[in-house]
This record gives sequence, structure tokens and C-alpha cells, in this order.
Amino acid sequence: MPHFQSILSRIVILHVIAVVITSVAMSLALSWLLNRATDNLHNEAMRRQANLVASYLKLDSAGKLTINLPAELLGFYSQPYGRYVYAVLDDKGKAILSSKIDHSSIFPKRSDQPVAFEKAYHGDAVISGASLRKTIDGTDFWIQTGEDLTNRDVLTDDITAGFFRDAGWITLPILLLLVVIDIAIFRRALFPLKQASAIAQQIGPSRTDLRLPVSDIPREIRPLMMAVNLALDRLDEGFRVQREFTADAAHELRTPLSVLRTRVDVMADQNIAKQFYGDIEGMSRLVSQLLEVAEVETAVLHPTEMADLHAICTDVAGFIAPITLAQGKSVALVGYDGPVVVNGNAEMLSRAIRNLAENAITHTPPQTVVEFDLDKSGVVSVRDFGPGIPDAEHDLIFQRFWRRDRNRVGSTGLGLSIVRRIVELHAAKISVTNTAEGGARFSIAFRGASAPAS
Amino acid sequence: MRLLVIEDNDELADLLARGLKSAGYDSDRFSTVGEARTALATTSYAALILDLGLPDGDGLAVLRELRHRNDSTPVLLLTARGGLQDKVTGLRDGADDYLVKPFALEELIARLEAQLRRPGQLLGNVLSIGNLEFDTRNRQCAIDGVSHVFSARETAVLEILMRSKGRVVSKRQVEDSIFGLSEEVGSNAIEVYVHRLRKQLIEKGAKAQVHTIRGVGYLITEEK
Repeated sequence: MPHFQSILSRIVILHVIAVVITSVAMSLALSWLLNRATDNLHNEAMRRQANLVASYLKLDSAGKLTINLPAELLGFYSQPYGRYVYAVLDDKGKAILSSKIDHSSIFPKRSDQPVAFEKAYHGDAVISGASLRKTIDGTDFWIQTGEDLTNRDVLTDDITAGFFRDAGWITLPILLLLVVIDIAIFRRALFPLKQASAIAQQIGPSRTDLRLPVSDIPREIRPLMMAVNLALDRLDEGFRVQREFTADAAHELRTPLSVLRTRVDVMADQNIAKQFYGDIEGMSRLVSQLLEVAEVETAVLHPTEMADLHAICTDVAGFIAPITLAQGKSVALVGYDGPVVVNGNAEMLSRAIRNLAENAITHTPPQTVVEFDLDKSGVVSVRDFGPGIPDAEHDLIFQRFWRRDRNRVGSTGLGLSIVRRIVELHAAKISVTNTAEGGARFSIAFRGASAPAS
Repeated sequence: MRLLVIEDNDELADLLARGLKSAGYDSDRFSTVGEARTALATTSYAALILDLGLPDGDGLAVLRELRHRNDSTPVLLLTARGGLQDKVTGLRDGADDYLVKPFALEELIARLEAQLRRPGQLLGNVLSIGNLEFDTRNRQCAIDGVSHVFSARETAVLEILMRSKGRVVSKRQVEDSIFGLSEEVGSNAIEVYVHRLRKQLIEKGAKAQVHTIRGVGYLITEEK
């Protein structure tokens, strides 16, 4: 059984096969019925002829059977005409009278039934006819009449023999027409499903409010649609719960950290305070990044939301510049100097690029620069002049909590996984390469970027 | 000069008040939207430190009412959310700055003072970085207490950099400060003024450094 991708193609193909088989079977059946009908006609005619012949039989005074056929019947059974024959048999099956040239019987006497229909072969000729019992003056006789089928009634013969050629073929186109009508009916029945599919295509993280229309859907499929809608309700609820949890968790975690930080800030002895700063900052960073992970996991991108990559790079570079300078390093924005607009959420993209930049700054030696390189085609790259990333780690680095050095202060192993998630959400591609100078270069390639004149 | 602190976490609010006090700022503290409204109706504050998540509503409501009355008192938002949309909404509703908890008290005071030093605000006098001072009233510059004269355009560049101490000023902002919006500027004119300013600061022994962030803008920091 072949596997069909579409219900329609399944119906068409199986229907056509069924139609071919049906039309052949129907032709055979009709032809058989037609043959039977002509046979019955023929048998009835033969029986009548036998009756007719019987009506001309008489026993003479010597007890001998005689026949006195009228002229037209004599012609009918004449040798030159050759089409019809009759014979009269006695009780023992011996031919008493016969129109045949050898005065023999047509069929052997077989049964004692009043009427029997027989068939006999005489050389090339096929004689088919009736055998009728007739009692004349107390003696039983069998009157046999036959017709040479090779020389049959022209009209019936033609209809039967030409049935396939003349009428049988019509069943095929008629049934094929039925297939076409069926397809039309079926397509019409499927139309609401098509509409529902169009709506389903729009359902995504950014449109969790959409539901499939159920009213026009055929009753057989409606339970499926309703089940899908309920599943969407549950997903929507899941998204909502997680978003709320993230917001609550953010508040619950950041508030005590904030109290702690400020308490240390106002401590009289700032020498002791200094010992806490590193820990508090590390903890704050971990909390922030965990919340970012949770947040981008349920974040949505609206299809109409636009973001300017140039503005984002400028903001991020400006944001991290003071920290970078404080570490004796620097940042620079190179490449295309004008707006590059993509479908995206500016705040999320800022986070992605900021994470890449912070990552680069962490792994880059002093007196070097971290470059933001923007291409008009919608590619943002962050390159550094650090040691680069071993080829074997190119995939690992995007995994959550992956760290080369687990004791490194301030590294949560979350930054690049956040970047990857944001990139996925924007249907963009991220790649990492090592440059000729040995540094790492992370590139995010967006689709459908446009660079309007500023 | 009083500050208004709207923060519902008592501990944090007390600590903030103590921190602000030691930096020379008195503050009133309240913890609900309702109390904030009352306080704003009866007292004039130099600036607001406003937490977004309050027990009886969103701090943004207070901000919107304030801006609706055309009150331009600087507002610094504090939030524990730091969510994707919160920042955008806060700034669009008229906040002057935004800090995500936990923050350094030093950072809070620096941001607050940056707002208070804006034209028309209360702390409009002397900006300082290291041994470099800039008096915004008479646009006089001093290094180690000794007055120095810069050209008008160099002074304009220095002022905008010092007003945004510790933060990057975009090339466009520097351009606007020198020439106003109508004049066309040669592509490297800003580079030239910044270069001259930097050179003179070094020559005159200022412990402040003007950095160029290529493709982004300029930044002045204390030299270490």
C-alpha cells in the first residue's frame, strides 16, 4: 500500500483504480446479463417452435406418427435455409421424424422433464434448442427444435457481440466524471480546514491569543480542532505562568541583593566593604543572567517590530565603554555607519550584543580593542584580539553553564546561551570563527535587513 | 534641597536615606503611590527616586501624573524587574534615568547628580573630575584650583563631556553642543576640537582623560 501525503491524492488515485475495476466488472456483468437475456429469448422461441411442431403431429390409423407442416414452416425448416431444425423422438430416443438431412435426432434424449433446453455440436455448427415432451393418444414423444447458433438471428447477435465496443466503454468516462464530481465535493468539504490552517500558521509565541475556528469545520474533524484549541489554551497559560514567575522571581531575588548591596555601600569601614563587592557583584550577575535566561525563553517577537542594528551597537558600545576603559581595554564601532533595520526587539538584541561584547572583553588582554562590526546586509560581528576559541569548543560555548574555567570569577556560563536563544528567536544565524590575528569573531546574520538612507 | 524616595522595602529605603544623607542629601521616604501623591502635593522636591513595584500600584502612575502637570522634576526609576519592556516604558513615560536593582549607591548618587546638574535644575554649579573643575555658571575651567582658558568650542566640548561624566557622549551630541542644529559640520571638525582639548588638558596637567570610542563618541574619565 503506497503512503499518500494528501487525502485528495489518495481519493483520486484509489478512486480511479476502483473506477477501472468497476467499469470492467460492470461491462462483463452487463454482457453476461445480455447474453442470458438473448439465451432466454432464444429458448422461449425454441419452446414455442416445439409446441408449434407438436401441434402438427398426428398418429395415423396404423399408429404411425405423421407430420403435416404448412408450407411456410416447411421453408423454415428446409435444408437450404439451414438455420432451424426439428426432430421427433420416441420414448426410446430414436428419431421418428427429423428435418435434418440424416433424419437423426438433434439432441440425445436425456431427461423425462416436460421441457429441457439443450445444446449440441455437429461439426462446426452449434445447435441450441428445446426438447419438449408431448403425449399424443397416450404415447409420449419428444419434440426437439434447434437453431444453428453460428447462423444466429442477426440483430441479437450484433447487440451481444458488439456490446463492449458500442456501449461498454461508456461506463468508464461516466465513472471518471463521477470521480471529478467527488473531488469537487471533497475539496469543498475541506475548504474550512484550509481556512483553519491559514489561521494556525499565524499562531506562535507572539500570537498566542489566536484559536482555530470550529463552527464551519466538519463534525468528524471538529473534536481534533477543539482538542488543539484546548492544547493552545494550556500552552498560553504555561507561557503566562512562566512570565509571571520570572517577574516575581526577579523582584524576590533582586530586592534582598539590593538591600545587601546598599548596606555594604553605607558601611562605615569601606575596607571591609570592599571584600563584599566582588561576591555581591558575582551574585547579582548570576541572578540577572538566570532571569535573562528565563525571560528570553518565553519572550516573543512581534512580526512587525523593527530594530536598528546601528543604534543598538552604538548604545551597547557606549554602555560598556566605561567598564572597558577601566580595564585598560577599548571598544570601537566599525563598518557601515548608518541605520540597518531588521525585524527584531531592540532590547533583546541589545542584550545579545552586550553579552557577546562582555564575553569578548573578559577574554581579551589589556591594550586591545573589542570591535563591533556592522555590515549593511544585516550582519553584526563582535571581534576581539584575545586567544580565540578552540575549534572543538565552538558548539560547547553556547551551552548553558558551560565554562572552560569553572573558578573564573564573574563567569556564569549563561551569557552565550542567552545570545543563542535571542538569535533563534529572531530567526538569525550565529557563527564563531577565529580571525587571522588569533582573536574570536562572533557574527549574527539577520534576514531581510534594510538600510534606509539616514 | 530635599529628595523624595518612594520605596516599599523598609530596609532598603532606610539604607538609601542613610547613604543619601552621607552624600549631603536630605530625603523624605514613603512606600505607596498614595503617600507619594500626598508628598508631591505638599512639598517641592529636587528629585524623585521612584521604585516601580509598589504595594498599591505601579510607580509609573506617579511619574505620569507628574509629567502630566508639566512638572520636570528629575525622576530616577528603580526596578527589580529589569524586564524587556520595563525600561522602554519607563523612559517613554518621562523618566530621566533608570537603575536596575541591585545597584551601587555611588552609581545612584552619580546619576542623581547628573540630573541635578542639568540646566534649570538645582545643582548647577561645579562639575569636577580629578583635579579638573568646571563651573557651569561662568563656564570657567580650573586645574588644581588654577584657572585656565579654552576656546569657546573647546569649552563647549569639555562641558558636555563633564556633564556626562563616566558616560559616552555621542559624536552627534558633541556636534549639536558646538554648532547648534542648523549648521553643517565638516566630518572631522569634532575630531579636531577633541584632539586640541585633549592635548591642552595633558599639557596643563589635568588628571582627566578624554577617550575616543571609535564609531560611537567620546568619554571623559579620571586618570588613574
